[in-house]
Amino acid sequence: MDFELAPEQIEFIQQPVDQHIWLEGPAGSGKTTVGVNRLLHLLSKDIAADSILTLVPQPTLGVVYHQAIRNPQHNINGVVDVTTVSGLAKRMVDLFWPLVVEEAGFGKPDQPPIFLNLETAQYYMARIVRPLLEQDRYFESVTLDRNRIYSQILDNLNKAVVVGFPHTEVAERLKAAWIGDDGQANVYDDVQDCANRFREYCLENNLLDFSLQLDVFINHLWSNEQCRSYLQNRYKHLIVDNVEELTPLGHDFIKEWLPDFESSFIIYDQDAGYRLFLGADPFTGERLKESFEVQETLTESFVTSPDVQTLEKRLSDVMERPSHASAYGDAREVIQFEYKQYHPEMINWVADSIAQLVHEEQVPPNEIVILAPFLSDALRFALQNRLEASDVPVQSHRPSRSMMEEPATRCLLTWASLAHPDWGFPPTSIDVASALQQSIGEMDLVRAQLLAETLYWVDDDGPHLASFDQLKHNMQERVTYLMGGRYEGLRIWLNDYKSRKPEPLDHCISRLFGEVLSQVGYGFHQNFDAAKVASNLIDSIQSFRRVAGARPLSKDTPLGKEYFELIRDGVIAAQYVKNWTLQNESAVLMAPAYTFLLNNRPVNYQFWLNVSSPGWWERIFQPLTHPHVLSRQWKVDAQWTDTDEVETNQDTLHRLMVGLIRRCRERVFLGLSELDEQGMDQRGPLLNAIQQMLRNLAVEEDDDGL
Amino acid sequence: MTLRQEFQFSQGSLQDFVDCKRRFQLRYIEQLSWPAIAADPILDHERNMDLGIQFHRLVQQHQLGIHEEKLTRMVNDAQLQVWWQNYLQHQPKDLPEQRHTEFLLSGSLEQRRLIGKYDLIAIEPGQRAIIVDWKTSKHTPKRQWLQDKLQTRVYLYLLTKAGAHLNNGKPFEPEQVSMMYWFANAPETPEIFRYDATQFADDEAYLSELIHTIDQLDIDSFPLTDNERHCRFCTYRSLCDRGLAAGDLNDLEDDFSQEDLDIDLDLEHIAEIEF
Repeated sequence: MDFELAPEQIEFIQQPVDQHIWLEGPAGSGKTTVGVNRLLHLLSKDIAADSILTLVPQPTLGVVYHQAIRNPQHNINGVVDVTTVSGLAKRMVDLFWPLVVEEAGFGKPDQPPIFLNLETAQYYMARIVRPLLEQDRYFESVTLDRNRIYSQILDNLNKAVVVGFPHTEVAERLKAAWIGDDGQANVYDDVQDCANRFREYCLENNLLDFSLQLDVFINHLWSNEQCRSYLQNRYKHLIVDNVEELTPLGHDFIKEWLPDFESSFIIYDQDAGYRLFLGADPFTGERLKESFEVQETLTESFVTSPDVQTLEKRLSDVMERPSHASAYGDAREVIQFEYKQYHPEMINWVADSIAQLVHEEQVPPNEIVILAPFLSDALRFALQNRLEASDVPVQSHRPSRSMMEEPATRCLLTWASLAHPDWGFPPTSIDVASALQQSIGEMDLVRAQLLAETLYWVDDDGPHLASFDQLKHNMQERVTYLMGGRYEGLRIWLNDYKSRKPEPLDHCISRLFGEVLSQVGYGFHQNFDAAKVASNLIDSIQSFRRVAGARPLSKDTPLGKEYFELIRDGVIAAQYVKNWTLQNESAVLMAPAYTFLLNNRPVNYQFWLNVSSPGWWERIFQPLTHPHVLSRQWKVDAQWTDTDEVETNQDTLHRLMVGLIRRCRERVFLGLSELDEQGMDQRGPLLNAIQQMLRNLAVEEDDDGL
Repeated sequence: MTLRQEFQFSQGSLQDFVDCKRRFQLRYIEQLSWPAIAADPILDHERNMDLGIQFHRLVQQHQLGIHEEKLTRMVNDAQLQVWWQNYLQHQPKDLPEQRHTEFLLSGSLEQRRLIGKYDLIAIEPGQRAIIVDWKTSKHTPKRQWLQDKLQTRVYLYLLTKAGAHLNNGKPFEPEQVSMMYWFANAPETPEIFRYDATQFADDEAYLSELIHTIDQLDIDSFPLTDNERHCRFCTYRSLCDRGLAAGDLNDLEDDFSQEDLDIDLDLEHIAEIEF
């Protein structure tokens, strides 16, 4: 940390190294800075780096700790473990598996564990649920994409373990809270049956999804003498940041382990809990406080000005929610907006305002974020184009974006489907044209379409690519012989591949990439973005193959074909760490609001888009689960009413607003348009709150004038 | 583009620089993914790597005190079975009691961090420290080849330089440190390298010079290697226009190194993001 620390921060950092300390405060009050410096302080007192465990709710929140440890100026010998509870759990399960495989009820005690990621968990879930959907009419009354059915069932299993109730009680809890028609009770029974079947299948086959990894760790390994001794002997000092974003399971685990540590430093962010939809529970987090004799609080913000704090206070007042922020400033000084009728006008206004900040006021682009409740492709595309046209670097971050939407992915899969005609996924002529444009250097879409329309066809024998020689001479000249030669190189490679014994899909794509597409004259050569996408795709297929290959569901269906079926089912791609860490540090960030919050990085300027959207307030549609009912704060048997819905949505909106404002130094720009992206007139609660606040301020000003 | 301040040098990245400056630039400065095949037959290569990982895990579990019987029944592959039995019957002898497995050690050099991931460090505090590296490569490398590898120099140097906390706060004398390469396919003939003050000084000078050189180079000064043998197993070969096909696995001298995979990207975190 290069900046000067405040005296109270120094006091907390320099507490004795055998102290157990609880530190809380609002976002922006310098708690993480204290946490990082506390870590450095411990190291400066000759505490071995590998005896310090630093827990964070998710990897992005550990980045500042990693950076500090890796800074050579700090001259640290050894490596501090910065991880998550689930990361630790997975590591321990992997290491001590032979000790608990039987006790935990797994069916193959002489075989290693197979860890599932989201894609592979959905793959097995799909195989279990699909026949029930098609033959037994499960979820008949629910209109939902299949991949969302699978993910919500998995979500229920996750909630059961992190909240701490048997997974067999999911339906019972959901039904008890439901007050609508009886049909929904059947849906919950279907959910329960699928969850039970999935868990049984996992146990039988040594498959560990996220929920089972945690379950095995907490319920079997943590009570195992050998594993527990290993952890207790290794770690002597504990630092936990953003403890409010951990789950009740995480809080219980920490509470039980705490007495074994020589020191601990737990940081609690007041008014946060943004990962609630992932099972986070700030209330059980706050209860940990009772275990600490030393309890400290930071109150002053190092981020927000009095005007920004006043904005928080004013909005909180309107939303009838408490706020400790001061109200000595003028909220109007830090918000800027213009009403536009149409959505594109609002986008233009945002882009122009950003260009002005960057080019005329010399604001570094990474001090600007563009936030929306959801970041649709259309919105992302429109903004990206407008900003790039204004010479403003921009990066988008949308965690749920599927890599299948990337042109490079579609291109590689097109060639892979041609290389495996027996799989029965012949690409369309449009796909082939697009893939040719991507694959062959300098080929434009017109030439690519010409080639695809004349040389590609599908008949009963499958798809075919004909030789360039079969084009008429005048057409060959139009395409050019240079590009024709490259086309032939690709076509011959595909034909040659088809004549050999087929390879796993990831190997096929990797070979095609290395031997053709990334060679001189082809579209992936020197195209680093496309190479990154290709790399992600290959990693995804490989991880699928290695898991599904170990426990194949069908001996007759090649795994590559199964992967294509996963794509067809819309199962999203797993996230890759690279996507989270390799961020362009000199670009404007576009992100969903929660993603920005969980990066925990203050900026000078925030642009809130689609302010009139109810998306800022409503929770996402999840008919098969319920984040509030399946929480430790919910009284089992209580009913979830409309009042509960409105109250929790108000709380959520308020928490979100406060979180964003506390991470803004200078100004909030509000993107307001009468009509939304779809041309609909919307007036969501955020817009109402802002308008009410402005009216109040106007009245006060008039009163002052009188 | 320059090397990130928090970049950590390892034996793998330094070896890359020594083999090909351009490869270092692409891999560590530009962090460029280039997913071509490294060696053929790729399935055999992948299997070797998997078995290598499984073997390392088994040994780690054994060193942590998990009963041999429980581990042996997890061995379901014939090749792995041979390695495992070789290990059980020909474990390195006379290793000190204090063991640190899959251990990360780091220290500062030339205003940079140098990091190493050790398979096993066995320590008798105040007396000696033995580094053990399990090798599962098909061929047993020549002693000179091992001696020249950055791994040998970095591991010995780093433990001597930054291992004081493993020795009751006192740095090891170079003469107290040694490194053993143990070969799963030739378990009775491990290679042992003893360390001394002269070698330590040489290594410090050499590693400092390497890191200093890398930090001083500008973006246009990372030329391709003149030795095209290095390109055979390099995935960037198509980017550099250095060939179409991957090298033959039988010509690969070393086994894989898991180290660099683990150090920079901690993939365990993926599950947390997903949920």
